[in-house]
Amino acid sequence: MNSLQRIWVLAQNTYREAIRDKLLYNLLLFAALMIVSSIVLAKLHLGYDERIYRDVGLAAIAMFGAMIAIFVGINLVYREISQKTVHAMLAKPVRRWEFILGKYLGLVSLLVIEIGIMSGFFLAVLVYKGSPWEWAMVWAIGFIFLELALITAVAIFFSSFTTPYLAGMFTVALWIIGHLLADVRDFGLQQGSEGIRPLTEALYWSLPNLDRLDIKAAAADGNAIDAARMAGAALYAVCYSGVLLMGGMLLFQRRDFK
Amino acid sequence: MSVIRASGLKKTFRTGFLMRQVEAVRHVDLDVAKGSIYGFIGPNGAGKTTCIKMLTGLIRPTAGEAWINGLPVSDPDSRRGLGFLPEGTFFHEYLTGAEFLDFHARLLNLPASVRRERIPALLERVGIGHAADLRIRRYSKGMRQRVGLAQTLIGDPDVLILDEPMSGLDPLGRRDVRDLILSLRDDGKTVFVTSHILGDAELICDHVAIILGGRIVSEGCLDELLGKEVAGVEVVVEGISEALFEELRTGATRAVSQGSRFLFEYADEAQAEKAVDTVRSADGRLRSLVPRRRSLEELMVADIEREKERAG
Ligand SMILES: Nc1ncnc2c1ncn2[C@@H]1O[C@H](COP(=O)(O)OP(=O)(O)OP(=O)(O)O)[C@@H](O)[C@H]1O
Ligand SMILES: [Mg+2]
Repeated sequence: MNSLQRIWVLAQNTYREAIRDKLLYNLLLFAALMIVSSIVLAKLHLGYDERIYRDVGLAAIAMFGAMIAIFVGINLVYREISQKTVHAMLAKPVRRWEFILGKYLGLVSLLVIEIGIMSGFFLAVLVYKGSPWEWAMVWAIGFIFLELALITAVAIFFSSFTTPYLAGMFTVALWIIGHLLADVRDFGLQQGSEGIRPLTEALYWSLPNLDRLDIKAAAADGNAIDAARMAGAALYAVCYSGVLLMGGMLLFQRRDFK
Repeated sequence: MSVIRASGLKKTFRTGFLMRQVEAVRHVDLDVAKGSIYGFIGPNGAGKTTCIKMLTGLIRPTAGEAWINGLPVSDPDSRRGLGFLPEGTFFHEYLTGAEFLDFHARLLNLPASVRRERIPALLERVGIGHAADLRIRRYSKGMRQRVGLAQTLIGDPDVLILDEPMSGLDPLGRRDVRDLILSLRDDGKTVFVTSHILGDAELICDHVAIILGGRIVSEGCLDELLGKEVAGVEVVVEGISEALFEELRTGATRAVSQGSRFLFEYADEAQAEKAVDTVRSADGRLRSLVPRRRSLEELMVADIEREKERAG
């Protein structure tokens, strides 16, 4: 009970710190501009209007969401350590894993707000353009949230034991590779070489497979999305995030605060 | 009963690409009695902060063990009755003073009713009641130190570990902190405080340990350490001739002239009395005569020199 209360307090404070930070607003402003620019872009592609709004809008939400998740997330963990605010906190009966979990939950609630704002913009543009309402859009946004929550777990994992620069690089790298894993695997399969296939297979099964969570294209085309596939993907995201968080907690537990 | 105990604490850092070893703390035993003010004194880089970080669970000892209130420091519950003031700045700058205290109070699971009462009272107690709703970003250095002290007291702890609580404070602020620490002791709390400013420690501590190069070199009650006997007598006189100054200087351990005033220091009272008689018979005036106890500073300087000899 005490533990839950502390995690809640830590999450709340993380959220509060981000909300009082300028970086977040700058990124949100950029995202809003991207979405608005989709209107302008669409004007150049008469006839394909809807497809473009949807593509660009969803891509903007995913992309800026990822930037916020990575940079704000890493920054908030790093700041606690470099500015030594963590010292007074951990010299209390606070468990280190509570700190990690609190940070994560604070960042995830931040994601909810920020995806909410960007989606609000996005859906407003769709309505303004008279696009028919489709639930697929909402599902797509939901899966963007899952992807960003997973990215945040990656960021927290790396932040728990390395410097912010390395953590940022590793997280961005995983974010990119995570979207290319299917290609990586295909490459291994097609090459057929004995040397490379085990490697590509290992990468495919061990790294976070963000493509599995990506239903943007299908949603933008207005295709139906298989419910079983979605459920599997959601479960995958939750489990993967959980494992990363536990890894982060273990590594953070061993850390010296110098 | 000992509230803080450590046995054979040691910390070796590995730094840089070559993982060069730095022995920050070599061997430290501690036994801090309940209700005392324990001064942990040493020059910069002696290993005070490193020791404290081991006591508060922020770093793991390379060797040795420590306990707070009987619980090993690896157990977070050992920090249940602990108030800790880390060295230097450690603030969530985006919070106001009151929010900062509320955050730390909630980390200690204090109920809202207690927080509502205690936070304004504490801010008043440390003298920044007027800045409760100002963001810490806008606080002066002294105000930060004060809100930091309030943070250590928020859970009404029975053990306090304060790392340089007086750094960055003006003379008035130092006096306030001294008074605060003394009042904590009067409330029956145990205070473990580091400083490299010996005057501060001398004024408030019951018990002192001097740490040098990661090792405790002197340790005991202040009276025990400094000795009760007089370490010298200072005599200040006026209106004597140069010749007499030269004469008096021969027996003194120290002699300084400043304008018309002269200061002599003698090893014992008999010599000082003799000098005073000489001055009086030459129509000089006695301004002051002060017997001086050995100071903590001299003790530390002597310790440092002994260590140097041992090393060299
Ligand atoms: N993280 C670290 N890595 C390497 N060396 C360190 C580290 N932290 C401290 N040291 C070294 O350990 C020694 C003791 O440092 P410590 O901070 O404990 O001293 P201190 O007594 O608190 O000094 P001060 O009075 O300046 O605060 C110093 O020589 C310092 O350089
Ligand atoms: Mg120090």
